[in-house]
Amino acid sequence: MTNEILTLKGVSVTAGGQQVLRDIDLTIREGELHVLLGPNGSGKSSLLGAIMGLPAYTVTAGEIRFGGTRIDGLSPDKRAALGLGMAFQRPPSLNGVTLRAFSDALRANGTFAREAAALDLSGFGEREINVGFSGGEIKRWEILKLFLQDARFMMFDEPESGVDLEHISAVGGAIGRLVTTTDDDDTPRSGLVITHTGFILDHIHADRAHMMIGGRIVHSGEALPLFSHIKQSGYTVPAG
Amino acid sequence: MATELTTPLNERERAALAKVGYADEAGRAGTCVITDHAVRHISVNDDRVEILPIADALARYDWVQDLFFGQIREDENDEVRAIALSPEPPVGHFIRVRADAKLDTPIQVFCLLETPQARQVLHNLTIVEEGAEASIISGSAVAENVHTGQHICLCETYLREGAVCHSLSIEQWAESVDVTCYDRSDIAKDAHVEAKAVKITPVRNHRSLTHISVGENGTANDQTVVFAPEGATRVMDSEYRLEGKGARSENLTRMVAGGGKIDNRAMIVGEGDDCYGFLGCDGLKLSRAGEIQSVPALKAISEKAQLSHEASIGMISEEKLAYLESSGMDEEQASQLIVQGFLELKEQEMPEQVRETMIDMIAAARSGSM
Repeated sequence: MTNEILTLKGVSVTAGGQQVLRDIDLTIREGELHVLLGPNGSGKSSLLGAIMGLPAYTVTAGEIRFGGTRIDGLSPDKRAALGLGMAFQRPPSLNGVTLRAFSDALRANGTFAREAAALDLSGFGEREINVGFSGGEIKRWEILKLFLQDARFMMFDEPESGVDLEHISAVGGAIGRLVTTTDDDDTPRSGLVITHTGFILDHIHADRAHMMIGGRIVHSGEALPLFSHIKQSGYTVPAG
Repeated sequence: MATELTTPLNERERAALAKVGYADEAGRAGTCVITDHAVRHISVNDDRVEILPIADALARYDWVQDLFFGQIREDENDEVRAIALSPEPPVGHFIRVRADAKLDTPIQVFCLLETPQARQVLHNLTIVEEGAEASIISGSAVAENVHTGQHICLCETYLREGAVCHSLSIEQWAESVDVTCYDRSDIAKDAHVEAKAVKITPVRNHRSLTHISVGENGTANDQTVVFAPEGATRVMDSEYRLEGKGARSENLTRMVAGGGKIDNRAMIVGEGDDCYGFLGCDGLKLSRAGEIQSVPALKAISEKAQLSHEASIGMISEEKLAYLESSGMDEEQASQLIVQGFLELKEQEMPEQVRETMIDMIAAARSGSM
């Protein structure tokens, strides 16, 4: 059996004084890709934010471990240094900060040149991050950002939303490439993806899916059958 | 006199001025350097450009005396009155770009405080004649060992009809230097100026009093980036008068207080029909110390004037920091990137040494705020 890369045990989280996640247990192993499904407001993005350590989220109970190391007290940069990365659903605009400057700061210029072309962002080096980007450009940049980071564990928050049909396969393909390659240390990458449309399942093999309702994971199982169930019956817990 | 002015700059002078944009003179249409109280060096590679010490220009051309104190009133205040009444010959540059000249390379002009406690008083005159196009890089600096002194500069610029001028101004003062700049520009009909100014290194007191008048269908756009480290007080008082029909101006100021004080007052006056003016003033505070005051003002005289402004002041957004930190940058690296982006300091416009100085100051200001 492969090693556990991410483990959440009994994790509860508040945001703005409100409880948004309750008693979450989740284990993802090296090389696995899990999908998170659930209605709007069910806590999916909060879970990703809490794992990344974004300041809006406070873990009030339980623990989060990454590669065996407890991370719930670490700042986002320390978590990123361990190999965590996140493609944001609604990232901030960074006026004056170009994609090139970002890439320089991460010393990832070679990767930028190669992967920007694959994501149809070749001419974006001097563009300011997320300033005037279309919805699809934001998503493509967020994925390119994970290539630059060379993250071991990647979280994608609705990577398909706002992406036009022309680019949807490029986004899916890029996510597929990201999760099926190994990182610089030859460790298989892993990930957690929030999806509404399920398009991502055409491009990647999801090992497991979790349904989230009201801040809790209410069901876990195989990805495609669970997605089919949701399409047919909505966000209800499958029988059995 | 002429042979003295052609004496090349020495290594020390070149090194001091490289911080504020000095480049090999072979690649410049003209170069002028003023050190302490005298014009130290002039070279000209393009015969469509004329550069003289202002005192020589006043002696050579009758019409220059009509432009000298043509925009700055001699009784503007006690400081200017004292300068105007001084029996000493004025020190400063006279730059003239002849009519219809389209210069291939920039003109570069510098002033250098080389003596500690020196009081440098300059009066510069720049004329871009009808239909001419020029790019001007200007820099102000102190020598490496100098951290005290006073610099007062009266600058009068005339862009004649249809002239175009791109300018970049970079300052590198020191922590106990006091600076006052009186900048006046007369932008004639169909003339265009695009000016960028970088004021980010230490200074004690810096006052700039700017007044620009724009004629029919003329344009005056400027972008100023200002940094006030601890101990610095920067006061900027600007007025843009859109006098002619269809005159335009867009004036963007970005201010970062890293413990120092910034007081920015800017006004657009819309006099001409169909004139358009925009003021953008954004401030960023890096620490609790210091302050930023920003007062944009609009005054419409013509009922057909279109004037607007935007102003904001804030700290570095926690959301933006977290976004960059989640990609692996530490807090210092992330805040540097955000501040540099806020100031839009593009590498091609910024001498490397100025960038490094600013990055060090941002880091110091941020660490003081932790």
